[in-house]
Amino acid sequence: MRSRFKRSIFFVEKHYLLLLAPLLVFVAAIALYPLLFSFYISFFKYRLTDPNQARTFLGLANYINAFHDKTVVTAIRNTFVFVAGTVSIELVLGLGLALLFSGKSRGMRVMRSFLIIPMALPSLVVGLVWKSLYNVDFGVIPYYLKQLGLDMGRGPLGEIKLAMPAVILIDIWQWTPLVMIIFLAGLKSLPREPYEAARVDGASRWQSFWRITLPLLKPTILIVLLLRTMQGFKVFDIIYAATGGGPGTATTVLNYHIYTVGMVFFKMGYAAALANILLIIVAVLAVLYIIVLQRQQI
Amino acid sequence: MKRPRHFHSPLLIAVLLGVLLLAACAPTAKRPVEPSQKTPAKPYEGTELTLASMTDQYVTAFRYLIPKFEEKTGVRIVLDELGYVDLYSKLTADFVAHTGNYDLMTVDIVWTGEYAQNKYTLPLDDFMARDKAALALDDIMPVAWTLGEWEDAHWAYPLAGYANVLNYRKDVLDEAGLEPPRTQEELLAYARKLTDKDKGFYGVALLGAKGPPAAQDYMAFVQQHGGGILDADGNIAINTPENVEILKFFGELFEYAPPGATDYWWDQRETAFRSGKVAMMEGWSIARAGYENPEISSVVGKVDIALAPVEGMKPKYGFGGWGIGINADSKHAEAAWAFIKWLSSPEIQKEWIRHDGAPIRRSTLEDPELNEAYPWFPILLESFEKGDGDYRPRIPQYSIIQDALGVAVNAYLVGEMGAQEALDQAQARVEENMR
Repeated sequence: MRSRFKRSIFFVEKHYLLLLAPLLVFVAAIALYPLLFSFYISFFKYRLTDPNQARTFLGLANYINAFHDKTVVTAIRNTFVFVAGTVSIELVLGLGLALLFSGKSRGMRVMRSFLIIPMALPSLVVGLVWKSLYNVDFGVIPYYLKQLGLDMGRGPLGEIKLAMPAVILIDIWQWTPLVMIIFLAGLKSLPREPYEAARVDGASRWQSFWRITLPLLKPTILIVLLLRTMQGFKVFDIIYAATGGGPGTATTVLNYHIYTVGMVFFKMGYAAALANILLIIVAVLAVLYIIVLQRQQI
Repeated sequence: MKRPRHFHSPLLIAVLLGVLLLAACAPTAKRPVEPSQKTPAKPYEGTELTLASMTDQYVTAFRYLIPKFEEKTGVRIVLDELGYVDLYSKLTADFVAHTGNYDLMTVDIVWTGEYAQNKYTLPLDDFMARDKAALALDDIMPVAWTLGEWEDAHWAYPLAGYANVLNYRKDVLDEAGLEPPRTQEELLAYARKLTDKDKGFYGVALLGAKGPPAAQDYMAFVQQHGGGILDADGNIAINTPENVEILKFFGELFEYAPPGATDYWWDQRETAFRSGKVAMMEGWSIARAGYENPEISSVVGKVDIALAPVEGMKPKYGFGGWGIGINADSKHAEAAWAFIKWLSSPEIQKEWIRHDGAPIRRSTLEDPELNEAYPWFPILLESFEKGDGDYRPRIPQYSIIQDALGVAVNAYLVGEMGAQEALDQAQARVEENMR
């Protein structure tokens, strides 16, 4: 009896494998192969535009050079600023909006769907639209700020000190709705009993938020943090469209620099090495988040 | 236990799926070709060419002329309009992978060396020798050959010649009692004089955005001061004392430009000039006709052009523009060449000009009818005669120089670093990437 049961499991698995095979082949071809190939070429000097397509083995030189490259160091710093700025503000704003719009009235639902619009737009379009809005000579935003008597200088995207916050604001505008939606789902799944018990015990709404809602939302917060951090590290379209990494190098993030190295200089080996550095940073951070937040949960 | 009979069904499903997939990937049926006899007059009937074009003004002329060519020859041309940065990277990807997606492409003058060295485009010399009689080669302005000529071979054919000219507001300069500036010092002095920040009016419009704009505008000013990016032996010499001085001069001009100018690409500089916010603007001659179009310009009738102001040298004027090349991987080189030949013929060139194209032939520039419609053609002719197509080095490493300068010049303009430091860094970046 038991062996028959076992056999049927095996039998079913075989079917699964067979059915999964096309997908596995597909994943290996489009995800695994490029990844391994990028690891492979990151040890070579490989110029795509070189007529001979020569690949010279360099060992770890590409990785070591990266940390002596001034632009890479600036780019990594800028990336961290961008990620810290966007993730923290989006987290707070997203949670706030979720609490605000968690009601069930019809107005709430209409508002919620409006808030989702930015997310549906391609980032490139968003970047270009904001570039026009920010334009100091023809744009709307500086126009009103100037009416208030503020000196706009070269404009939000033209001043070194303003460019990064301006770009962060674009990202916040576009991606806070996503955070809100995730939190809304998280809030919906919370049990009602603790709140009822708290009310019976005379807890204020503030207290029940800090003591019940936040701790219970921890898994959701983890998801948001992971998702937005990873997306933040990979930011490209908004920067490409709005500033091109400028003014100077004020908004050159790592991914944008990788694009320059790879698609302007066509130095594929070095670009692959930089991309792998980015991958490692993101992976380490992701693991850290998971460890920290899971430990607190116990 | 006997195996159930349906054991083969998953395999069957997989096979069926595969068949379906293959079917979906099969080439779609070709458009039905009208049953017409292949006459010698239409030897390329049914051929399909893809043309990648920069979205410069002349794209309007392509849109107008391509149907005429299609009608005449039966060749179908798909026009793919791309912005500057996209065009460059899409073409490079196409060349490097030998995919041959584009048969024809507009080639910026500065890509010449790179395309020639890597043999991305087809050398046109055999075609030109064969069809010499029909091409009227002597009529093409000598400077226009820099649009594609590299080491005695032609990697692109002249398509649209641009001269760097000074556009100015007649009304504003008249009111101030000024003649258009002839030297760079005068340009700076007049820009200072004409700027009225309280009224939001500025002396000059410039390109300062990080990337190609800042790099190219700076190189234009280097040329106008008689300097260069390469030394006499052709070595990269970006951080020379002269160039540092010119960068400082360039920075000073920005004080009399709209505050957003450090973020301007070509289109925003045009907007600034066309919306009447600035008195003077150096730029490519191809934009000139647009200032008389009330749909896009609020300065109709108020603009004139003059030779670009130059300092301390025998006058030479910046020349640029676009050639048109045939992909070395194209399977339809003959048909593509037929298009180039037709487009550059003297009669069609007149139509090309009337629909926002740019001239390459002396006969076009001296044509009385066109001169009546475009009274600034004599200035263009003189600029072309004394044209310098090499002020932006057309060497294979041009894109590296442009990128390095694009970062450095912008960094100086926004105050991230000093002029010397910026150019030192550009020099280092070029040297490092040329290795």
